[in-house]
Amino acid sequence: MADRSLVHVAFYAALISALGLVPPVAIAFLGGVPITAQTLGVMLAGVMLGPIRGALAVLLFLFLVALGLPFLSGGRGGLGVFMGPSVGFLIGWPVGALVAGWIMQSTREMNILAAAAISAAVGGILVVYAIGIPGVAIMAGLSLPKAALGSSVFIPGDLVKVALTAVIVQTVARGLPGAVLSRS
Amino acid sequence: MMSVYLQGNSWAHRLPAGLKLLAIALASLLLLQYTSFWVLLPALGAVLLCYASLGRDGLAQLKLLRAMSYLLAALLVLHWVSGSLLEGVAMILRLAIMILSANFVSVTTRMDDMLDAVLPLFKPLEIFGFSPRKPALGVALVLRFAPYMLVVFAQLREAWQARTGTRNSWRLLAPFAIQSLSMSDHVAEALKARGGSQGLSR
Amino acid sequence: MAFWPKSRKPTAEHRVCNPDASPYAVFDRVGLKAGSVPILKDLTLQLAEDRIGVIGLNGSGKSSFVRLLNGLRAPTSGNLTLFGAPYDEAELELPRHVGFVFQNPDHQAIFPTVEEEIAFGLTQLGAGKEESRSRARAFLALHGCEGLAGKPITELSGGQKQLICILAVLVMEPRLLVLDEPMSSLDALTTVRIRQKILSLPQKIVLVSHDLSQFDGFDRLLWLEGGRLRMDGEPDAVRAAFQEDVLSRQDMDVEIAEL
Repeated sequence: MADRSLVHVAFYAALISALGLVPPVAIAFLGGVPITAQTLGVMLAGVMLGPIRGALAVLLFLFLVALGLPFLSGGRGGLGVFMGPSVGFLIGWPVGALVAGWIMQSTREMNILAAAAISAAVGGILVVYAIGIPGVAIMAGLSLPKAALGSSVFIPGDLVKVALTAVIVQTVARGLPGAVLSRS
Repeated sequence: MMSVYLQGNSWAHRLPAGLKLLAIALASLLLLQYTSFWVLLPALGAVLLCYASLGRDGLAQLKLLRAMSYLLAALLVLHWVSGSLLEGVAMILRLAIMILSANFVSVTTRMDDMLDAVLPLFKPLEIFGFSPRKPALGVALVLRFAPYMLVVFAQLREAWQARTGTRNSWRLLAPFAIQSLSMSDHVAEALKARGGSQGLSR
Repeated sequence: MAFWPKSRKPTAEHRVCNPDASPYAVFDRVGLKAGSVPILKDLTLQLAEDRIGVIGLNGSGKSSFVRLLNGLRAPTSGNLTLFGAPYDEAELELPRHVGFVFQNPDHQAIFPTVEEEIAFGLTQLGAGKEESRSRARAFLALHGCEGLAGKPITELSGGQKQLICILAVLVMEPRLLVLDEPMSSLDALTTVRIRQKILSLPQKIVLVSHDLSQFDGFDRLLWLEGGRLRMDGEPDAVRAAFQEDVLSRQDMDVEIAEL
């Protein structure tokens, strides 16, 4: 049913927005690098909704940011954020959600915790950084290794989010099985 | 409604949204061709003048640069260690100009006008069976859901606090997802009850 | 359900429903299953009265029953005729004639602000954006709510939210208004006010409620049990029989978990 899909897409776009309002946490054992909850929403959208709807949810979220809503973590919004050095990561998000959703969908037989962790790690980290790092390199005029070095400080935080995604998806699958749309 | 939009009636506010978007797209493309300070510094001056023309509130918008300063400084350091400090300064200048000028469009354009300006771009998707009403409806739904989610989260946190004495926990995230998801099913039903995203006419 | 519902979009030239049909709903051995679980069984009745109430215990099928009237649920057996047309043909046109008000207003409001919520019904019927906004404001003023127009839905009180949800449906000028336990989250005073509002409407009403006093002045009361029509008639007679039944059952030694 198309209307239901639209509502679910909007729901996850809102979830990514709401997670952007969660203040960044600096975790000591990760070197004090602040981690934001927003990419958790990107991972969840892909893993929970499946490839197409997951990617659409992230695109809808980015659309709202472009329209000027301050939904990006730190209260940022407007067209300016798409001109910044991290624009590659923003472009990487919908692709990452697409890949995460696709992996989740094609591993139906696998244990849900493991499948969600793999999907979130590959889609939410590998794919997002593969697009984000060249983006930093181009926008800031840096070499790829330098750009990669600069971006790598966020990877430990993202690994925490992969673990959270897996636990949340597993819990939701128990409490409300129909909600894991990528598997239904 | 919350937005980076700044209330006002300046020359920039009165320009049509579509024109501003087109101008910013062209300016960014053009700027990417240059790294010379002879181009960048006057461009920065022009952008700052634009903000100044909005008055004190306009200049206050430049706080955006402060939020970006850590990131820009980190990039500068990376340039410095690779021995291209001057090139780094030019890059950061260019980024600042592009960010500020794009933000200027957002600050001076109402969200509704922006939406009206870009919705026609979705029209060609109609041949794939995609209703052009959907992006606008999607935007409205997100604006409706986001504050409701904060309410749900606050309620859950109270319930958690009442029984554990501690405040936040990541354990709240899953029940939060479950509760707010069940809301989205109800909203889908309510949308269908009033004719669905396709509408009842045409 | 059609495989490709787009092609069946109702158009102005091709309407199948007759809004003035009386009775507006004819159930002929109608059944409804969710998967393999029967929800409604073998319902045969006609609805024509102005004010009809529906009662029943939790799980009796009353929510599904009223959802059939608006096209939110499709019958899985029997024949259902709504506004003179067979269900399958009428389905997509039903939201135009039948307004539906849900139990929880938080789950019904689709839009961030009151004005947009009201205007949506008008754009659904084909009005342009500016026209529907101004008509929505006029409609709010007509019902004494002009002060709420620009407010975010999340900032309204429970009673205001439910009132806006009812107005958002009324603005589409339906012939029938279905209300599924609309008062369950409202305080006593707000309940009285909303009830007065509902009873003053020219629309035909179908009201589901657990509160038996809501049906004072109604023409007819339906009592559903286990997906069947247990009793159908004058509100006073049905209410008395229902209360007696509930009282006789509370003495039985049944665990809550079994209900």
